[in-house]
Amino acid sequence: MEILMAWRNIWRNPRRTILTVFAIAFACVLLIFMLSLQAGTYEVMIDAAVKTRTGHLQVIAEGYNENRKIRKVVADPDGIAAILDQAPHVTGYTFRANGFALLSSEHRTYGGMITGIDPIRESLVSTVPATIRQGRFLGPGDENAAIVGNLLAKNLKIGIGDELVVLGSARDGSIAASVLRVKGIFSSGMDEYDRAGIQIPLSHFQEIFAMGQAVHEVVAMCDSLWTVSRAKAAIRERLPEFSGKHRLACLSWDELTPGLVQSIQMDLGGGLIFYGILLVMVAFSIMNTFLMAVFERTQEFGTLMAIGANPGRLTKMLVYESGFLTLCGIILGAGIGCLLTLWAQHTGIPMGEAEGMLRQYGIPSLIRPSLSLVTATAGPVLVFLVTMLTAAYPAVRVHRLKPVDAMRAV
Amino acid sequence: MKKHYRRSVIMCIGLICLICLPPALSHAGEPAAENLIARAWDYMRGNTSVSVVHMTVHRTDWERKTTIKAWTKGRDHSIFRIIAPKKDKGNGTLKLKRDMWTYNPKINRVVKIPPSMMSQSWMGSDFSNNDLSKADTILVDYTHDIVAKETDREFTVYVIKSVPRPDAPVIWGMQQLKIRSDGVLMEQAFYDEDMEPVKILTTTDIRDIGGRPFPRQWTMRSMDAESEQDYTLLEYESLTFDTPLRDSLFTLNALRKPAR
Amino acid sequence: MHLHISWRNVWRNPKRTGIILTAIIIGAWTMLVFGGLSRGMMASTLSNALNTLTGHIQVQSPAYRDDPVIENQIDNPAELGKLLDTTLPGDARWAFRIQVGGVASNARNAEGITIVGIDPDREPGLSFYGDSLAQGRHLTPDDGHGIVVGQALVESFETRLGRKLVLMTQDADRETASRAFKIRGIFRADMEATEKQYVFITLDAARKLLGVETAVTGACIKLSRGSSRNPVDLADLDRTVRALSEKLSPGLAVLSWEQLLPLLKGYLAMFDSFMLLWYLVVFLAMAFGLVNTMLMAVLERTREFGLLKALGMKPVWIIRNVLAECVILLAIGLAAGNLLGIGTVLAFGSGIDMSFMAQGSEFFGMGHLVVPFLTARDILAVNAVIMLLGLLVCLYPAVKAGRITPVEAMART
Repeated sequence: MEILMAWRNIWRNPRRTILTVFAIAFACVLLIFMLSLQAGTYEVMIDAAVKTRTGHLQVIAEGYNENRKIRKVVADPDGIAAILDQAPHVTGYTFRANGFALLSSEHRTYGGMITGIDPIRESLVSTVPATIRQGRFLGPGDENAAIVGNLLAKNLKIGIGDELVVLGSARDGSIAASVLRVKGIFSSGMDEYDRAGIQIPLSHFQEIFAMGQAVHEVVAMCDSLWTVSRAKAAIRERLPEFSGKHRLACLSWDELTPGLVQSIQMDLGGGLIFYGILLVMVAFSIMNTFLMAVFERTQEFGTLMAIGANPGRLTKMLVYESGFLTLCGIILGAGIGCLLTLWAQHTGIPMGEAEGMLRQYGIPSLIRPSLSLVTATAGPVLVFLVTMLTAAYPAVRVHRLKPVDAMRAV
Repeated sequence: MKKHYRRSVIMCIGLICLICLPPALSHAGEPAAENLIARAWDYMRGNTSVSVVHMTVHRTDWERKTTIKAWTKGRDHSIFRIIAPKKDKGNGTLKLKRDMWTYNPKINRVVKIPPSMMSQSWMGSDFSNNDLSKADTILVDYTHDIVAKETDREFTVYVIKSVPRPDAPVIWGMQQLKIRSDGVLMEQAFYDEDMEPVKILTTTDIRDIGGRPFPRQWTMRSMDAESEQDYTLLEYESLTFDTPLRDSLFTLNALRKPAR
Repeated sequence: MHLHISWRNVWRNPKRTGIILTAIIIGAWTMLVFGGLSRGMMASTLSNALNTLTGHIQVQSPAYRDDPVIENQIDNPAELGKLLDTTLPGDARWAFRIQVGGVASNARNAEGITIVGIDPDREPGLSFYGDSLAQGRHLTPDDGHGIVVGQALVESFETRLGRKLVLMTQDADRETASRAFKIRGIFRADMEATEKQYVFITLDAARKLLGVETAVTGACIKLSRGSSRNPVDLADLDRTVRALSEKLSPGLAVLSWEQLLPLLKGYLAMFDSFMLLWYLVVFLAMAFGLVNTMLMAVLERTREFGLLKALGMKPVWIIRNVLAECVILLAIGLAAGNLLGIGTVLAFGSGIDMSFMAQGSEFFGMGHLVVPFLTARDILAVNAVIMLLGLLVCLYPAVKAGRITPVEAMART
């Protein structure tokens, strides 16, 4: 009974209702879109970090992450590979080995970080192959070939085809030396890596750094960020089998790059303040509608009460009314918001001038929002709570009406 | 060849005595600290020296032995070449004053060590490139004082505190040396500016090598190493002093040539 | 006359008017506060960057930027100095520098750093060097072995004032050169990276270290308008860059901060457009309420408008009346909003300490102390957005009112 009355009541003044619904819908659309955009950006940031350097998970010798000593190795990478093959959610993995060495061109010498990679497997896990700006990525046939970070190449004054001398300490303390040919120049977007990093085939790395079959990192990717912890637990359980001289550890991306998690938290915090302000604005915008819905009908309520409707029923009816309004707005807003977000997700949002800056944080020039259950529902739920809170005031005010005065009111 | 050389050696030693001894004697039979050090350094190196040394880099879980042949001439010319193990054979390091170059035969390249790498370890040992390239700074950049005397069998051992001159480009706050009266270096300790020891070099097993009493074993330990078991040990296999060496041996060209 | 009527109309329903006024006030207030805070953050980021040795303009050898080594030096600085003195506006400041990469070491540590040789008389006021000293004292021109380093470097080297630091670099003959320095002063910077990166020695000491006679690697120029609020006067900058480029020998490059820090420029531009976007979003949220309120106000007066129409009033007059009501609402809201907003910004005039999220603000290259402020342009922009767009959306209820016909009006109860 109240429901029907409420529904009819809100359409007594369709213009006002529609405007209010729009206001609510607008807030929903904005929240869904912005939250999805933030989520999308974070995913890209995490993705960039994960895909250029850390992977979702790494199996390394305990302590290697803090102190990258060449002797802290994973001695039996094939054994780890067997674990990873059976571990849930792991979609791919590769082996890497790292060494610090002198990198010397005809003109300059700098210290740098050499990573030995498996040219075929690396592209399953890393985006570095896709960031080659000049030349090409390493191939299976390459021996003493290297790809070089663009800033390092600039500092060393070398280009494609030039020679690069590597001189360092091998795992057994002998001297590691090689002359490499530059095959490609990459620009991962992470300045630190582009300034000091070179990649060479893993087999060649193992040869010059006397690594034998050992590697430093087994880098694995999972099917999504959310399954990483499950995969990690499964891998950790089986690691002791393979811990030889160095105990092995399995770390996830957030443990490997704690700074990333912090910067995301800060951005999210800033975003929440904006959303709070926005919600307050919307609340005030629609409060008038709700208030007017009571005051312009004072006479009507008075009559209803005079013929026996108790204030509780009126409140109930008013709550239904605002509930309907809010629901209409939310459904409309959620619909438009989701569609808009999906469309933007499909086409991507160009970042224009800010591209260079974003690239520093590993964000590509096209940002895609990412719609998920959380980003699609968090906004509307918030809007619902805020509007219902706003509507509560006039609904309670009805209680104070006295039939006689009310009927007299204009 | 040797004979014709001996004359100049005698002349040199004579000269050194002339220069060093008189002031040493004038202080009531007490040698001056700087003369003790200068003499010890020359004693260690002679005019020239040719040596074969086994270097053991020891870590708790790991050890590596390398054999190095070294030639030195005067105070700032030296060249080192690895002769064993086979894998590293022919790798060389040339040091001229403060600059260092390294050569690798496998790739046949000479690379100059940039300033940024000078504090890195030399061939994985507890010696840094700087330790090698700045080995002589004690002679020019420090002032010395004898702070104590100890007796080691029939020898007096002078404990010398060497403090860097105010503007000398050295990183240490102080070095403490123990030098035997005959010129043998017993210990060299490196202190930071808070007078905490950072690295200590000790010598042991003094025997007759190269015609003079000489410590066969030299051990360098870092005080901030991961374990007390970490050290680098140099053991002399052979050592000859004052063989005539041509200046051309200490050039980049010579560095590139295969080991003798 | 209309205004008087409109004024009365506005207050016919004080509660309704009160609520919409609150919405407008909150809107204007948040726009201004957010705008002030953003301005403060942008200015902090920019002046931080300019203060960290960039300055407004740099003159250097064209090859130096890609390859900052002593070989890419300015050979005849005296001539350049004379030119700068005559060309630059009177209130501009400039100084020579030698800036090269090197290694600092002591018994405990060795790390790559940037050696900055400065003119102790001229450098203060040009970069953070002058006003960031936390301990000790500044360099004097004849101090051949003094060095001023950052707090973070002091910590990682386990050292303190009066202690020694050996600098090593490659000299002009490509040979390894080193020289000892004593820590005379310790500076604090907003960013730890800055504290670890830069060490200051005198120009003469740097020349001796590098084995050069008179050379410098560049001149850094700061124009006068470098206040904390508005670190750059763009017109001034352009004029000076052009004047310098014309007069300088072709062997030298004149670079403005925008060329030296292109990423920062992009970041600030993004921030600017983000602010405008924020204004629009807040306005939209407010607009729904505004239109709704005006619509209600108009519709409940349908009979009145119908009557007026029947009495021969032109629709334009009615529209004008309704719009006048809008203007009154907006004007009152804006007045209060401005007062509140500007008041809030002024209340935080001593700055907001952002150090509680130090790591985060460092990530964005921002100082720890953000002083929110508003420019006349910002205040104008906020008021214009609300007033003009507010009038625009109010056109809808106004036109609606203008269209009411007497018949229609009478038909309604």
